[in-house]
Amino acid sequence: MEHIVGIDLGTTNSLIAYVDEAGPQVIADSATGQKMLPSIVSFLPNDRVVVGREAGELARTQPLSTIRSVKRFMGLGMEHVSPDDRKRYRFVDDQGDSASLVRFAIHDRQVTPPEVSAVILRALRDRAAAALQEEVGKVVITVPAYFNDSQRQATKDAGKLAGLEVIRLLNEPTAAALAYGLNTKEEGLIAVYDFGGGTFDVSILRLQTGIFEVLSTNGNTRLGGDDIDQSIAERFLLTDLDEELRGDLQVLNGALRAAEKAKQVLSEQDETILNLAVPSSGVQISRRLSRHEMEAAVDEIVARTLEPCRQALKDAGLETQDIEEVVLVGGSTRMPLVRQRVGEFFGRTPLTDIDPDEVVALGAGVQADTLSGRRRDMLLLDVVPLSLGIETMGGVMSHLIERNTTIPASVKEMFTTAVDDQTAVAVHVLQGERELVQDCRSLARFSIPIEPKPAGVPRVEVTFMIDANGILNVSATDLRTGLERSLEVKPSYGLTDEEVERLLEESIDFAEEDIEQRLLIEARTEADTVLHATDKALSQNASFLQEGEEEQIAQVVQKVREACAGEDYDLIRDLTEELSQVTTPFAQRIMDSSIQEALGEKQLSDL
Amino acid sequence: MPTVVRCWRCQDEHTPQVFCPACEALQLLPPDIDYFTVFGLARAPMLDEQALAKTYYALSRQLHPDLHQTGTAEEQEASLQNTAVVNRAYRTLRDPVQRGRYWLELNGEQLGKENNKIPPALALFVFEVQEKLAAVREAQSAGTSGALTGLKAELDQVRDDLDNRTRGLQQKLAANFSKWAQANGSSELLGELKRVLSDMAYLRTLTRDMDKALSTL
Repeated sequence: MEHIVGIDLGTTNSLIAYVDEAGPQVIADSATGQKMLPSIVSFLPNDRVVVGREAGELARTQPLSTIRSVKRFMGLGMEHVSPDDRKRYRFVDDQGDSASLVRFAIHDRQVTPPEVSAVILRALRDRAAAALQEEVGKVVITVPAYFNDSQRQATKDAGKLAGLEVIRLLNEPTAAALAYGLNTKEEGLIAVYDFGGGTFDVSILRLQTGIFEVLSTNGNTRLGGDDIDQSIAERFLLTDLDEELRGDLQVLNGALRAAEKAKQVLSEQDETILNLAVPSSGVQISRRLSRHEMEAAVDEIVARTLEPCRQALKDAGLETQDIEEVVLVGGSTRMPLVRQRVGEFFGRTPLTDIDPDEVVALGAGVQADTLSGRRRDMLLLDVVPLSLGIETMGGVMSHLIERNTTIPASVKEMFTTAVDDQTAVAVHVLQGERELVQDCRSLARFSIPIEPKPAGVPRVEVTFMIDANGILNVSATDLRTGLERSLEVKPSYGLTDEEVERLLEESIDFAEEDIEQRLLIEARTEADTVLHATDKALSQNASFLQEGEEEQIAQVVQKVREACAGEDYDLIRDLTEELSQVTTPFAQRIMDSSIQEALGEKQLSDL
Repeated sequence: MPTVVRCWRCQDEHTPQVFCPACEALQLLPPDIDYFTVFGLARAPMLDEQALAKTYYALSRQLHPDLHQTGTAEEQEASLQNTAVVNRAYRTLRDPVQRGRYWLELNGEQLGKENNKIPPALALFVFEVQEKLAAVREAQSAGTSGALTGLKAELDQVRDDLDNRTRGLQQKLAANFSKWAQANGSSELLGELKRVLSDMAYLRTLTRDMDKALSTL
């Protein structure tokens, strides 16, 4: 029987898993042994792409053509792009028609988020094919439970563009519950708190002998570890810089990386040093950061996850004390502050037995196993996260399927004409909880073709079906003739079927480029810049050196030069970093003195 | 409702059921099947909710698309459509108010749009709630946080009252359901049932408005 594999297509990292005799397991890269593939894609000028860790390295020098956290853009339109997003990437703003799907402008081409995700999916597919020694065609891909229809459709399109058959989109918290529920014959009510790199979900489930029934779900598809990094970077690094430097992409990305690193260290230690060195921009910051300071700065972000928890409980008709187990999922739940807040909210210590980075992929593997027909003892009953409806008179949204309805869910709605000989009825499909159309997310528009008859005579029944993927399908039947009517559904923020076909044909070549060589060149260039700056400072400002400092610097300079003669770019980079750090106090003294000079002058001229 | 349907695979003719008695192929439920029949229940407003849940899970284990992924296109389609019907039927029947309404509709009785009108028995209470909600809006737009704290306490109290009334009506509804089962229906009882159902529907709307206001405090 062919394998169906499970994929966790994450904001920060992606993983692929399958089930064998020993149970579910994540497939590691055969060359590096790494299980997590960083969700970073770098587009090279020659129409080639690089994915994963190497792409992360390229981000340092080619930030505009390297896309991180693409999941945050899936299924969105240009109007959802924030000013911060615009600082980091270039977008295609003028798209000619009304379709305003997000498109990155990279080199001389347009790239949509599903295409970027497809690159990640292909890399995972190749990894699994190598490990399993067979073609990988069918997959289960996980999505945040709170993903709307457009975001789900975009994920499915990404799979298609990667040449995969996506047989199921699985909600991430539900996947985690599956992975946990495997070893136990547990019964009871559980909450899954899933705080990842870019999204937050909470799901309340009832477990009973093999049935995983989701009672409610809530979340925020633009809230995650990324926001915590951003907050740390702004508060502790960027705030000291002037406007121009804050807008410098290398500085911004460097600050985000430093913040992420500090955040991780502070999950284990009470204190760390935040380092930001961008020699080309003359930025050199090094400061202490305590866990306490960081927690005070990001507490507001963590607090924002609790309102969805409250709402999910309420929708399930439960109180916190009804919850018997809380499961933590996602990298951001490694933070002690998150564990503490969640523990306080639910009044119990959360479960963290399974690696929060792997649990979703493992659950996807389990579900893939069920779908392949190998196991029949588990069943998921999941829900739609947001209410679905249509626009009615006066710009009001009329609900057809309420949020937290078990899927598959269908509803039939009758349409007729308002004037004689009308040949079509336009339908605007929406998703959201607010009353006014303008406050809900537009999903799609379609038009029902109708035979010209007097007003009110035609009767067309439209079936809105949300399938087990949480994706909407519509079909129409003319009740007078009993004939099915074909509908052309135009997604508000998505690729059309034709566009998917076209993109499949012209799909991007996959990373045959010798990336090692490129990284080596870049590491050497960066080292050269720092060496040059160091030489200059030593010759012009030798008076600022303290005793023994010159020898210390000279030693590292020597090491950097030796490394540059070799080919180990990691070593070159590490030593360059070391040189930056060793010279920081020296540079600080030079800077302090020039500031004093500047101040001194000012005081003189004031007289 | 058709009494006989034909199996898509073996052409066997039988009464509507989930699996063909002859070849065991998954069958598409007739589109006009009523929710009580889906669960093999008599068409009556009173039912054993625990037994209903049990049947729902058992049906899901047979029908769910996840378990028919390797089946033919017909089976996959039947699995999808049937599960959607079962889900909708369960959502309707497990809730006494929705069940009562649905049952009335099956019997040609409409609860109609009456719940836009204030049920007379609730009039005084409704005015009290509306007044409090208006006061909250006023205090919010004026930005007087001191007044809001006092109002919150009052609202909480009204909210408890609302819960009590809802519970009272739930008991009344259950009593009416069982009376109906015993007396086998009467027009007097039907009128009473409709009143209780529309009172409950009204209280639900009120509860929703109230919770919306409370969540902004």
